[in-house]
Amino acid sequence: MKYQILFIAWITGLFSGIEIYAQNCHATLYGTVTDAETKDPVPYAEVFLPQTGQGKITDEKGRFVFTELCEGKYTVTCQHIGCSHQSKNINLVGEMSLNFQLTHETFDLGEVVIMEKAIAPKAAQAERSLENAALDAAKGQTLGDMLKKLPGVTTLNTGGTISKPVIRGMHSNRVLMLNNGVRQEGQQWGADHAPEIDPYIAGKVSVVYGANSVRYGADAIGGVVVVEPDPLRTKKGTGGEVQLAGFSNGRSGAFSGLLNFNTGGKIPLAGRVQGTLRRGGNLRAPDYYLENTGVSEANYAATLGLQRERWQSEVFFSQFFTRNSIFKGSHIGNLTDLQNAIDRGRPLDDGSFSYELGRPQQRVAHYLLKVKNQLKTGSAGKLTLQYARQFNRREEFDAHKRFNEVPSNFDNPEMMFEITTHTIDAAWEHKSWRHFTGSIGAQLVGQVNTTDRGGLIPDFNSRTAGIFWIERWRKYPLPLEFEAGVRYDARWLDVGNRGRDVIDMQLNFNNFSGTLGAIYKVNDEFDIRLHAGSAWRAPGVNELFSDGVHHGSASYEKGRSDLKAEQAVTTSLTFDFDNERNFSASLSLYRNFIRDFIYLQPQQQPVLTIRGAFPSFAYEQTDARLTGLDWNANWKPIPQLTLTSSASLLRARNQADGEWINLMPADRFRQGVRWEFGKDRKRKQWQESYAGVSAVHVFEQTRAPENQDFAPPPPAFTLFDFEAGTSLQFGNNKANIGLAVQNIFNTAYRDYLNRLRYYSDEMGRNVSVRLKMTF
Amino acid sequence: MKNLKFLTTLLILSTFLFTACDKDDDGMDNDQELITTVQLTFTDGAGATLVFNVKDLDGDGGNPPVADEIKLKASTAYTLSVKFLDESDASHTHDITEEVQEESGEHLVCFTANGAMTAPAATDTDGNGKPLGLTNTLTTGNAGSGSLIVSLKHEPDKSAAAPCSTGETDAEVTFPVVIE
Repeated sequence: MKYQILFIAWITGLFSGIEIYAQNCHATLYGTVTDAETKDPVPYAEVFLPQTGQGKITDEKGRFVFTELCEGKYTVTCQHIGCSHQSKNINLVGEMSLNFQLTHETFDLGEVVIMEKAIAPKAAQAERSLENAALDAAKGQTLGDMLKKLPGVTTLNTGGTISKPVIRGMHSNRVLMLNNGVRQEGQQWGADHAPEIDPYIAGKVSVVYGANSVRYGADAIGGVVVVEPDPLRTKKGTGGEVQLAGFSNGRSGAFSGLLNFNTGGKIPLAGRVQGTLRRGGNLRAPDYYLENTGVSEANYAATLGLQRERWQSEVFFSQFFTRNSIFKGSHIGNLTDLQNAIDRGRPLDDGSFSYELGRPQQRVAHYLLKVKNQLKTGSAGKLTLQYARQFNRREEFDAHKRFNEVPSNFDNPEMMFEITTHTIDAAWEHKSWRHFTGSIGAQLVGQVNTTDRGGLIPDFNSRTAGIFWIERWRKYPLPLEFEAGVRYDARWLDVGNRGRDVIDMQLNFNNFSGTLGAIYKVNDEFDIRLHAGSAWRAPGVNELFSDGVHHGSASYEKGRSDLKAEQAVTTSLTFDFDNERNFSASLSLYRNFIRDFIYLQPQQQPVLTIRGAFPSFAYEQTDARLTGLDWNANWKPIPQLTLTSSASLLRARNQADGEWINLMPADRFRQGVRWEFGKDRKRKQWQESYAGVSAVHVFEQTRAPENQDFAPPPPAFTLFDFEAGTSLQFGNNKANIGLAVQNIFNTAYRDYLNRLRYYSDEMGRNVSVRLKMTF
Repeated sequence: MKNLKFLTTLLILSTFLFTACDKDDDGMDNDQELITTVQLTFTDGAGATLVFNVKDLDGDGGNPPVADEIKLKASTAYTLSVKFLDESDASHTHDITEEVQEESGEHLVCFTANGAMTAPAATDTDGNGKPLGLTNTLTTGNAGSGSLIVSLKHEPDKSAAAPCSTGETDAEVTFPVVIE
């Protein structure tokens, strides 16, 4: 590639204005030079530091590195053969990475970009993200269904519209949701309580596998789901996007729009408003409609941010409101009814299509307000203070009022919980000091829950306080990196009444969590990561105090107020290979131990009530061991063709009796082929066109305890999906168009992890189209 | 430093603004209608009545339901009427049978007889002319023992081949039976 011009640029203000206090001569400056348009590395570019007389030539991958520099002001120049040079001053502190993105337009020198960014360190534990095109292609689905494509992630469903992510067999209270930097606090204890997050808000969704309590707080035994919006606009002006998605099954549609702006000027105020509407009717299984499975959702969010040289401030507010109808055929009275439904093998009623949202129904509202401030503390680091308030109201409406007429309105829920959570986070992140980077911080969480209707769980007050310290050591260009961290949390729980029962109990839990990890870069294409994390989780109020019949599952659940906290140690070994050309693969092996794992143990004697017999379950504790692997590979035998393969295997044992643990995801394999129609064709309007087919095979879960379930785990199934997309450029606007078909062959199947699997098949074929306009 | 002060003030202010929500709950409403008692009244040809109950006064959990033993004479014709009561409030018994009667189309009383017991046959009908089962007749056979399961179905499919295996169960109790 020939570069005719000189490339330079300037550095965005992150590090300007930093004062130097002491002369430290172990600083490192490194980075890459890439072509802004093709993203290809630029080899043989010259990078100079005139003050020291040092110069480097970028290698084949466009990389350069200067080590053992004294901290201070430098001029960095980057030039290529045949070009005059320009220069720019930087303040070098600790370890800095400087990435030059060079444009090479012959006539226009105006647009030159150099990006300087803090090194985004690779986590020592396995982590995967959905972003850009892959994220766009998944939009319109629930958050859980979006994440399902990642290895090691499955979902726990209640019908077709309520799904929550399961990470390596863990879900609900054991998986933490981080919504825009805030711990999501709703009624997440319930298996039929989906995360109250609008997926359209996300610019990136990541899953962190394994315990990660040090950074995010106790409870994150199974993993963390991180939902991040895109950063606010930094250039003066406005922009936005509109997304539309339509689905044949349920005849549902989603509309989402967002608007970004930046006022520029002396005090550049940036902001975003975003809103989503979703509406769907009764879903259809291959052979019948699923009566009363519609959904209606309306969400909006607004952000306002201000960024100056030394500080930045952001206010975020979002509101989430959903109405989910629950499949009518799943409403039963006792064990006999459940047995009748299982024996029947299909719903009593074949149903018909309707948008009507009837009973049973859930309505959930979630509000989040966040104020975040960041302040640079001299050359040493950055202080972040964040306050968030969340309010969550959950209402559940029964199929009918017993013996009374069904109310025509939804004014009187049979169950209502309201939970308010205040979170304060303070963290100080320090810059590289003797090759250490890290942060230290504290977190306070206050929570009030009131159960206004239906005393399933008690009213409670809780307070949690935690402190943490995490450090990472990296000496460029040594191939080894280490990470270590420790955290201490204390939790007070003050429990009031459950319905008419006075419980009045105070419980305390406290413990340490830790993390230890190492990354070894074998070479530029291959790295190995070893991680061990410890985490603990205080028992949830449902595990401690629930006492009653759980309808829909026709079981009597009894909590135990003397449960101890769960203590987990998770270990993982991850191999990552990526030659950045045509092959990448990742293999993650894990073994997780959970001491005092809380689970529902079936009891010998059913509980007799006036409504008949209910199988009885009590919360018990045991030691659990979960072993598994996640595998993922991409291969491009020719540039247009991509073959993908992924697999998730899991074995979960109760160590006390050697029995399997129930409700664990079955093994699954996914294979796919994808054809890309090339990027650089003459007609530039049609770009990034692709089409692909994938197949997922889910095995029958044979590793479930025997005779503990109402019906055996459903048989294995294979589903085929089709996906195609293209993008259209006209002027400054861009449109992405996508077409997808899920379950192409309209296969009738049931999923072991769907709580309504006793009553009906899963959703049948679903054809969807989506459109995204960027302006 | 000025900025820090500003930010701190902002943070503290926002905390105050949005904290005022520690609400004491006064609107507690857990009153769901409850069946605590299923009452069977057998009347023979001479007008003599026998009353048997299954009671679970403390609701789900706690103490299990307590069932009376049904004692009937052999080879005798009885009419059987069924009542559903809420006796959880000792001062006030709520008769739910009336509500079942009002919504007769959506309810069905089902019986399963075992051993020496004979299954009762419904004599009443709902608004659509389909069986309801609040009043029934039966004629006992030879002496012996057995049991009678009484259940109240809500929204059953009365046109189904076996209506008693459809719908949602509101009550289901088992009486031991002795025919003398």
